[in-house]
Amino acid sequence: MAIPGTPTRRAFLKGSAAAVGAVGLASHPLAFALAQAFPSRNVNVVVPTREGGGADRNLRAFTGVWKKYLKTNFEPGFYPGASGRVGYEVYMGKREADCYNLIFGNMGPELLNWVVQKPTFDINDYVYFGRVDTDPGCVFVGAKSPFQSIDDIVAAGKKRKLNVGTSRLAHPASIGILALGEHTGAQFNLIPLSGGKNTVAGAVTGEMDFSVLTSGAVAARGDAVRTLLVFNDKNLLGERLDNAPTMNDHFGTDLPPMLSSRAFAIHTAAIEKHPDRFKILQDTFKQVFTDPEYKPVVLKAKGNWEYINYGGIEECKAYAKDIFEIGERFKPYLTGKS
Amino acid sequence: MELQLDLYGPLFLHTLSYWWVIFPSIFLGLLVGAIPGFSAANTIIILLPLTLVMDVEVGLIFMVALYCSSRMGAGIPAILVNIPGTAGAAATPLDGYPMTKAGRGQQALAMSFVASSLGGLLTTVLALLTMPWLAQVGYYMHSVEMIVVMLFGISLIASIAARDTLKGLIAGFFGLMIGSIGADHVYATPRGTMGFLELYDGVPLIPALVGLFAVSEAFLVIEAQSILSRHSRDLLKTAGWSATLEGARIALARWWHITWNSIIGLVIGVIPGAGASIASFVAYQQSRTYSKIPEAYGTGHPEGLIAPEAANNGVTAGTLIPLLILGIPGGATAAVMLVVMQYHGVIMGPHLFSDRPDLGYGVFMAMAVTYLIMSFTILPLSRYMSKVTLVSTAYMAPIIIAFTLVGSFVPREYMFDMALGLVFGVIGYIARKTGYHVAAILIGVILGPLLEQYFLRALKMSEGDISVLFSSNLGNVLWVALFVTVLTPFALDYKRRRQRAAHG
Repeated sequence: MAIPGTPTRRAFLKGSAAAVGAVGLASHPLAFALAQAFPSRNVNVVVPTREGGGADRNLRAFTGVWKKYLKTNFEPGFYPGASGRVGYEVYMGKREADCYNLIFGNMGPELLNWVVQKPTFDINDYVYFGRVDTDPGCVFVGAKSPFQSIDDIVAAGKKRKLNVGTSRLAHPASIGILALGEHTGAQFNLIPLSGGKNTVAGAVTGEMDFSVLTSGAVAARGDAVRTLLVFNDKNLLGERLDNAPTMNDHFGTDLPPMLSSRAFAIHTAAIEKHPDRFKILQDTFKQVFTDPEYKPVVLKAKGNWEYINYGGIEECKAYAKDIFEIGERFKPYLTGKS
Repeated sequence: MELQLDLYGPLFLHTLSYWWVIFPSIFLGLLVGAIPGFSAANTIIILLPLTLVMDVEVGLIFMVALYCSSRMGAGIPAILVNIPGTAGAAATPLDGYPMTKAGRGQQALAMSFVASSLGGLLTTVLALLTMPWLAQVGYYMHSVEMIVVMLFGISLIASIAARDTLKGLIAGFFGLMIGSIGADHVYATPRGTMGFLELYDGVPLIPALVGLFAVSEAFLVIEAQSILSRHSRDLLKTAGWSATLEGARIALARWWHITWNSIIGLVIGVIPGAGASIASFVAYQQSRTYSKIPEAYGTGHPEGLIAPEAANNGVTAGTLIPLLILGIPGGATAAVMLVVMQYHGVIMGPHLFSDRPDLGYGVFMAMAVTYLIMSFTILPLSRYMSKVTLVSTAYMAPIIIAFTLVGSFVPREYMFDMALGLVFGVIGYIARKTGYHVAAILIGVILGPLLEQYFLRALKMSEGDISVLFSSNLGNVLWVALFVTVLTPFALDYKRRRQRAAHG
């Protein structure tokens, strides 16, 4: 049962349903004619992470192509802090709901944030409408670690509690390792290390027995680390992730993919007020994925093309449902009340 | 990893041929380092589009030169107007600014430049010769060991409190309390944020730094016509090149002091997550502890200025070692450099030195060349820079306040941080007027959250078992060293008093 005032899956899905309805309205021919004026100025994008990081690179690559279809420029504003909360609070509190203001967030960690600590705004008031990528979490060790496979880790975890580095507790990769522990009986002690950089350092220097993180960041570390398990249906990066098995394949589990997923979101009110504008945003957003220019841009920014993965409102809704459910399941652990 | 010493000579000459990149980067670095709130990291981020289109070697040399010179630049306003440009320069004004107030600003700048260049150059050479072994430090310095390192820095509060125990300790605990504001490091539960979302990540360092030091200083100096007394003004006005040379001579005469403090910086820099702020406080504390005249610290003592400046420049080479050898950035600037290198397809890590030795060793060569060039080009500037202090406070105070407020805003771009800078300015002003030491508050604000982070991590790993603090051999050695360090001043003081009594 949800605690009163806590954002719930149902509430979030209600907002998404409103968005789906609005799309239906916008498909009317008159609405399309009225929408021709949009956009008449630049589109602002709130980014709830630091400039120069993964989200920045991802956004630059994507909007570099999107602007061609939307026929306008994008102006990013970076609001890091409080695990992304500052950016969302700024977006919801200070940006007008007019389709000229978007937010580009990481759905997984940020939705888990709302499960663990409720925001000051109603989460129905914004909707994810455009997924750019899906980056699964993974288990990895430093190059010098004695653990050679995930079976070694599980066997050791049955003898003693292993310390596991993670960027923060409320993270899909943290949930993945908790689920592994639940399934195998191995004991894991999650240690939040405040960010990916420290999480990698924890594994490489041997302070942690191993770490969990999004696999895109781990693959970028080359030979300094060794990947042992991926929380996805398939190891899409293959050799770059040391051909590590997936959890469901290796352990016969039915865990939904534990993904970080960067996506654009918009005010629900903007969709209701300007369904025509929203339709233009959606249509042009989708066009980027089939544009031949996009892949070279992603590769140049050292992104993993295998993780580029279009998703509309429906896909984002399904993802949010999974994250909320599994977040609620592990909430006592994530909040220290287990 | 094996060192390829035969590469060093040709690579040095090759890097020297990039002087046309290094010169402008040095001056840009000095400028951004001197402006509070700006740093090498955020400048590289701002110039990211430019860095990404540069040739990888040029880009790397540009970033390294900027990084080194910004570290030196941060010390300039710290010495002249009591505004540390970054947290790494927070210990610099403790003795640098009293020297300026005494009309020895030019000398102080020269000392700082020599200590920085020499410390940076020395540690770069050391890094080039010992990096495979230095990289191993990260494997041994874990949370428990870092707790002790933090306590070395925090024990400075006790040294400051030695002059007025009660006020020193109150100021230190006040700083530690402010440092504990923000979401806790494990469950992210907000504490003491007073409902401000902007405080969830803790009190931002730059507004605290510039508020406590600079804004409070501006409030104070406006009460007088000049920062300097009449005598100090006359001294500065008549100072010629000899003052610069005298400053350089004083610093060079303390070459051993520069050496061991820069090595402290190098070793702390190698530890992922540690940085210049820790190194400079630890170096200052160590310097004071083993000085024959500890009571002179805080009054404009040359060694009190040389120690933190040598240490924070020693950190520069240190932070790049884990980045290049382990693929782990040792600090914020190194993290941004990692992004740029990845964009160019360069994978940092154990294979870099065999795959691209020109880049692996080239980083340190660029650093060595930068420090060499800086030692010749920056020193003469001390004469002109020091004249800033002759400006009337009627102009100086508003300029300080304007610059520091902009500096507060820059790192996170929150208006809130400008207000916070002013709040800390008022706190600093009250503290100074009532005899509380703002440095003690600042040590708590800077090192308190780091200490808490390592402490909670160690406890979480041991599931609450406090004996974890004494569970590692290296940690236990450091504990003993800490106790020796804390007790030494008392022992030396006792010895001195006995000697004085014996001499009647």
